[in-house]
Amino acid sequence: MNLLLLTPEWVVLGVLALLTFFELFQFKDEAFYKKVRNLLQLGGLLAAFAALLCIEPKAGTAFGGTYISDPFAAFFKFIFLLAAGAVIQMSREFFDQRLERSHEFFLVLWVVLAGFFLLVSANDFLVLFLALETVTLGFYILNAYLKNDPVVIEAGMKYFILGSLASAVLIFGISLIYAAAGSTLFPDVRASFVNDPQNPLLVTGALMVLAGLFFKAGVFPFQLWIPDVYEGAPTPAAAFLSVASKAAGFAAILRVLYTVFLPLEDKRALLFGTLALLTLLYGALGALRQTQIKRLFGYSSISHAGYLLIGVAAGREVGVAAILFYLSAYALTTLTIFLVIAIAGRELGSDRIDAYRGLGRRSPFLAGIFFLALLSSAGVPPLAGFTGKFLVLLAAVRQGLTPLALVGSLAVAISLYYYLAIVRVMYFAPPSREEPITLCPASKGMLLALAAALVAAGFFQGPLLGAAEHAAQYLF
Amino acid sequence: MIVLLPWIPLAGALLLLLIPANHERALKNFALAATAVPCALTLALCALFKPSLAGFQFVVTHAWLPSLGIHYRLGLDGINLTLCLLHALVSLASVFTACWAKERLKEYLFYFLLLTGALYGVFTSLDLFFLYLFCEMTLIPVFPMIGVWGSKNKEYGAMKMALFITAGAMLALFGILFFYREAGLNSFDLITLAEGLHARGGLAPETQRLIAPLIILGFGVMAALWPLHSWAPIGCSVSPTTLNMMHAGVMEKVGPYLILRVAVAFMPEGVTAAGPWLSVLAGIGILYAGFAAIRQKDLLFMTGFASVSHAGYLMLGLAAMTTLSLSGAVLLMFAHGLMAACAFAGIGFLYERTHIRTLNDFGGLAKQLPFLSICLIMTFMAAIGLPGFANFVSELLVFIGSWNRFPAVVVMAVIGVLVSSIYFLRAIKEVCFGQPNPRWAALKDAAGFVERFPFILLLAALLVFGIWPNGLLRLIEPAVGGLLSFPEARTALSAAPFERKAALPFPEARTALSAAPFERKAALR
Repeated sequence: MNLLLLTPEWVVLGVLALLTFFELFQFKDEAFYKKVRNLLQLGGLLAAFAALLCIEPKAGTAFGGTYISDPFAAFFKFIFLLAAGAVIQMSREFFDQRLERSHEFFLVLWVVLAGFFLLVSANDFLVLFLALETVTLGFYILNAYLKNDPVVIEAGMKYFILGSLASAVLIFGISLIYAAAGSTLFPDVRASFVNDPQNPLLVTGALMVLAGLFFKAGVFPFQLWIPDVYEGAPTPAAAFLSVASKAAGFAAILRVLYTVFLPLEDKRALLFGTLALLTLLYGALGALRQTQIKRLFGYSSISHAGYLLIGVAAGREVGVAAILFYLSAYALTTLTIFLVIAIAGRELGSDRIDAYRGLGRRSPFLAGIFFLALLSSAGVPPLAGFTGKFLVLLAAVRQGLTPLALVGSLAVAISLYYYLAIVRVMYFAPPSREEPITLCPASKGMLLALAAALVAAGFFQGPLLGAAEHAAQYLF
Repeated sequence: MIVLLPWIPLAGALLLLLIPANHERALKNFALAATAVPCALTLALCALFKPSLAGFQFVVTHAWLPSLGIHYRLGLDGINLTLCLLHALVSLASVFTACWAKERLKEYLFYFLLLTGALYGVFTSLDLFFLYLFCEMTLIPVFPMIGVWGSKNKEYGAMKMALFITAGAMLALFGILFFYREAGLNSFDLITLAEGLHARGGLAPETQRLIAPLIILGFGVMAALWPLHSWAPIGCSVSPTTLNMMHAGVMEKVGPYLILRVAVAFMPEGVTAAGPWLSVLAGIGILYAGFAAIRQKDLLFMTGFASVSHAGYLMLGLAAMTTLSLSGAVLLMFAHGLMAACAFAGIGFLYERTHIRTLNDFGGLAKQLPFLSICLIMTFMAAIGLPGFANFVSELLVFIGSWNRFPAVVVMAVIGVLVSSIYFLRAIKEVCFGQPNPRWAALKDAAGFVERFPFILLLAALLVFGIWPNGLLRLIEPAVGGLLSFPEARTALSAAPFERKAALPFPEARTALSAAPFERKAALR
């Protein structure tokens, strides 16, 4: 058994243990505690990053084949680390003036991060389920963290009820698969499925497992919770949900689709093409009339899931590489957006789109970065989001899914409308108050780095695409 | 050298951010340098360009995303060299008008340089991916430029413009991806595609007929093709002066250019099949926009509709698919770009000082503002197609080149010229002559180098190439001939019965025009 393969997971768990340990001391000096906590988290992220870099090229399994480490999983772990880093900074911006204590939020964040790490490395349905439950349980807490606010509680309850339902569907699907295959290990299930592709238990089980994962990824018709939860949840939790949960959902979907449910291959384009169309249009059309900014990004994330599904429908190495690129671009874009929302929400005192009036005048820097991120989200070149959309549409056209690509192309124009509506409020309308907004250096630096990454991934796509193509190979 | 063209303004835009906002002089000088250097480079490239050689010159290739067949390849032939020259002149003139802007100068110049760089990118790239990338990238500076510095109703105008152009561009992108797959060469590179398809005898005609309309309609939105034009006049009326100059001068030429590069070059059969309805749209556009321009009281709206009307001539030239009409269309892009930029500079000059742009609020400016009035009169005369300006030659080429295929539309277009003389002459009468309005007694004429240079530059170029159109035509014609020598094009055209008759008079017409343009014009006078 190769326990060294799990080094990134060990690092994350170690940070978690240390954070809990420091919690025991009940420091009188809150500022000192926060400093230690921040340094510890930063060190943990860097250590996990370094560990990932060392582990990345190796592929292997551990724990009797239930855990798999390969570049495909590592690619997602990099995304999770990026998301965790940005979300930690976001949480500082979000909670520091709102709450006296936010320690547990960070603890749970690391639990969820460990869950995500395990989720993309699962090579067994039970590990998959356990990892997914770790993540979901963590999000129950994160989403309802501001427990005095009824909107937040509503969001937490919605996520809890629908999340439990999805888990129930998932575990029932797994039990059907176990009943038919006699094992929960991915390779064993694959063997039985390939031998008996028409087995109703296996087919039903596979569809139920996919349905459970669709909930995480926000795929139609399992997307209803997203706008409500994004609106109510604390901004950092919504950001983590939006980036990491979607990435993890798609990682698991791709993993089971290509390593286990091979007999579904000939139905894949039809199934995922239909879902892509519905998800895309639901998200794009639903976003048109939103007035709450986080709700708007809830719908926008659904429409992004639609593009990712186009990639799944296209399939093969091209489609998977396109999905991986799209997800990285989406992570960069969405984290930038939510970091701006966290800061602006605090400064403007509201998450309504109207509240962003004249932001371009009050803080040209913040508005400029937001503008860039919105355009990237819409898919305007030369930003990361454009390359992602381009690759997905290219993969679809290459695989002969032309109608899907046509709808995907035209939906860009629809989505541009609601993104530009925000820009219009920021730049065209006069501000309600004049005093400029000042940013803390850490946030400023992080925003600059994210914006630079957006432009870099949009113009110099080579390295990221190369990494995505490399990671995608390991699925086949 | 060619690589520097887009990257000097783009790098300049980033470096400009480092200059503090209150150093206005430094900002202006820096922006001027970042625009003037690529302009000088373009002139140098024009001098080094060898018209006798076929194909692209100064070709530079960098592997970009080899797995997808995307290369950053740059190169120039007569067509995009002409457009580079147009962009170089218009951007140089525009940067002077950008310096007129008083408020938030730094951001304004930043967006301006971004736009300039992106447009150089469009005109130098020879890879479909980069052509699209730079083309759509122009949206980034345009939206905030209208938002912050635009005039009334800007929210509506900016949004309409952005959505129309993006919807069109996405349709065209879909067409490009479709083309990529059908070509089956795993390449977005125009030269590789041309060679590969050449060897195969071109795309299948059915495929061409499927893809060409996507490209034409998609980029037709950018070219303000009727009935997809409605964003253009409102866009013109809300934009600040500099953006208007760049927009009507250069950006509206991107659409026809890309249609020429992609649809005409690779889907000649498809364009020929689409020709009749395209020419009808062009004809309707010319007349519709012309009559609409007559009804306008607002100078910017009037010029905006005039641009739409002129875009119809361009589309007519493209639809006819003859060497003569295509050369005329390219020359018209050049001439109309200079003319439109000059017109918007003049109207912007007046608007920024008076905050009025309705026709009948001015009057008798010829006495008070002699320089500006002369410039406006010359510009509008050029727009009407007065001999001596490049517009005349190019419109004539388009009409002659299209006559054999679409005589009815050419008649409509000629009527359109008459209509344009109505509203332009009326504008001259209302603004420059008549009773002086005492409200503007304190108004000062353009004085000094900074205020006069844009007009002098643009009008001089219009006159030079009006008198010596061969200077450009000798570059354009071989390139257009190269496009049409595509195997499929030749068979498609010679198969069409009307073309066989038409094939004869062309050589004479061409030599007559390009050898002795001046005499011919003199005779017409």
